[in-house]
Amino acid sequence: MVNIYRERSVAQDDLASVVDELTHETLPLGCYATQRSVRTLFSSRDGVLALRTSLAPGEEWNSLAPRHPFFAYHEREMRSLQGITVRSSPDDRPLYFTADAIPEAIVAEGKGISAVVVGPVHAGIIEPGRFTFSTGGESVVHIDAQLSYSHRRLEPWFEGRDALSLVPHIARICGNCTVARSWAYARAIEELAEIEIDDRSEFARMVLAEMERVHVHLFDIGSIAAGAGYGAGTTAALGLRERINELNCAASGHRLLFESIVPGGVRAGVLVDPGIIRAALRELRDDIARFCDALFSKRSVLRRLEGAGIVDKSLARRFAAVGTSARASGIACDIRAMAPYGAYRRFAFTEERASAGDVYARSEVRVREIERSFDLLDRGLRELEGGEIPAPQPVRTVAGVVTTVVEGARGAESISLELAPDGRVERLHVISAAYRNWPLVTRAMEGNIVPDFPLVNKSFNLCYSCVDR
Amino acid sequence: MLTGKFARSLGIRHLVCGSCNGCELEMNALAAPQYDISQEGWSIVASPRHADVITVTGPMNEAMRLAAQRTLDAASDPVVVVAIGDCASGDGLWCETGDAGTGAGRELGAAIGVRGCPPSPDAIREGLRAAATLLDGRKS
Repeated sequence: MVNIYRERSVAQDDLASVVDELTHETLPLGCYATQRSVRTLFSSRDGVLALRTSLAPGEEWNSLAPRHPFFAYHEREMRSLQGITVRSSPDDRPLYFTADAIPEAIVAEGKGISAVVVGPVHAGIIEPGRFTFSTGGESVVHIDAQLSYSHRRLEPWFEGRDALSLVPHIARICGNCTVARSWAYARAIEELAEIEIDDRSEFARMVLAEMERVHVHLFDIGSIAAGAGYGAGTTAALGLRERINELNCAASGHRLLFESIVPGGVRAGVLVDPGIIRAALRELRDDIARFCDALFSKRSVLRRLEGAGIVDKSLARRFAAVGTSARASGIACDIRAMAPYGAYRRFAFTEERASAGDVYARSEVRVREIERSFDLLDRGLRELEGGEIPAPQPVRTVAGVVTTVVEGARGAESISLELAPDGRVERLHVISAAYRNWPLVTRAMEGNIVPDFPLVNKSFNLCYSCVDR
Repeated sequence: MLTGKFARSLGIRHLVCGSCNGCELEMNALAAPQYDISQEGWSIVASPRHADVITVTGPMNEAMRLAAQRTLDAASDPVVVVAIGDCASGDGLWCETGDAGTGAGRELGAAIGVRGCPPSPDAIREGLRAAATLLDGRKS
């Protein structure tokens, strides 16, 4: 296995100019801290590059956010968890809070502007967050999104624990991106231990990841239909998703595929009958294609989607957006194509993009990605027919530092792992695609009407629990 | 089929207290045609004041403690708390990790616990039926 993680030591004084340069050439992932250093991460064709900046005890961190606003959350997190003082930060509020000290929302001021607070508990089956809308008439002037209501102090809790014992926990940081995150975690441990994964296990991993992508994308499409007020579309999408969840269960014993990818391969008993799954998927593929054709040719639906919640390319780039949300604005960022890993290295894979950056474009990219997923599923499952997937290899942990990235349904999902010689976690950091993309949601709403918030929000459909941790 | 007043008209308010969203994904499946709880007369309501049942997920985390209590306080009697999933029921993987508590359902006095990580939509529906039966059997 090629070791694709590299580190470069950069002094704090030189960091800003190196970051400026790399931001143009690569996909910035963000930064994370320990008590002694900060690592700023970039993903490119060559793998992951980390800029390691040492911090003396008590040394302050010069905020990168004034030039590159996507660092704002990362730096607020460093302040909240590692207690690092961040100088010249555009947002000094703590990222995490306790119930008796919830940060005040930032509200727009001006004649005729009023503020409405929604949440943290919502009128649906959705995760908690507090949204403060500043509105002028029907239009949104500004939205303050107070996340962190699902914060559980998970990362500090991981520290000192045996890395292999955390496999069930990694799968349950977020139910939406569980396969992607488990894969990134397995790769982190394998890359440190220089373990090669056999071809059949790699095909199985790809199949599991694509099944996750299809069920998440279908749920998103159903949620977009709900936001557009088209209930029949939501019901139909949920019905199709349910069929995938049943297939997930047949393939892995779990409807959401929890813990199907483990360090060393895939869990024993996963995908024992690929032929049956392949046949069922073929039928489902046709039904999904027919549904999407019908949904996205309805004029009443299209009129709600087109022109709503526009993210232009420069905004997406400024916030280093990832996933379908970025690709719908024309940005190339699919890790499966950019830095292929596992079985994706076997296939010529072209990522799907659109240019309008509106709700329709984000829907369109998902529809086409579902098609590509079915192509990959068919090829992967064919490779698995007529043979067995080996049991996962025994894994011994090796000390070191690594970051791995995989393409989840929401975009780039990364795991940063620092392991001690005894296999204990010194630092485990999760950067989820949703964490990168939240700033886009509020900005995409500016100038849109308040009743379109559910529609625009659902066109991103970002998770909270992997963002808040 | 259950025939009680609540069994045919249940208002459900959902409360997330440190869940991984897995339970939420399965609760959302209840709107799929394979389960379709709207046919039972059940709905997800827009305010705790409209709720007969409050479903809770997660181990309970610090950030949600106050909002969770206020949601319960705002609900009008009778209301039944249903713990959805192993975390809310008190022995899920995340209970007593990080800043998490001992289970949102346990802490909020759940009368019913639906087990699983996450529980299947069928199991969740059964838990909601049990809540309706409890409400119908109660003297109000």
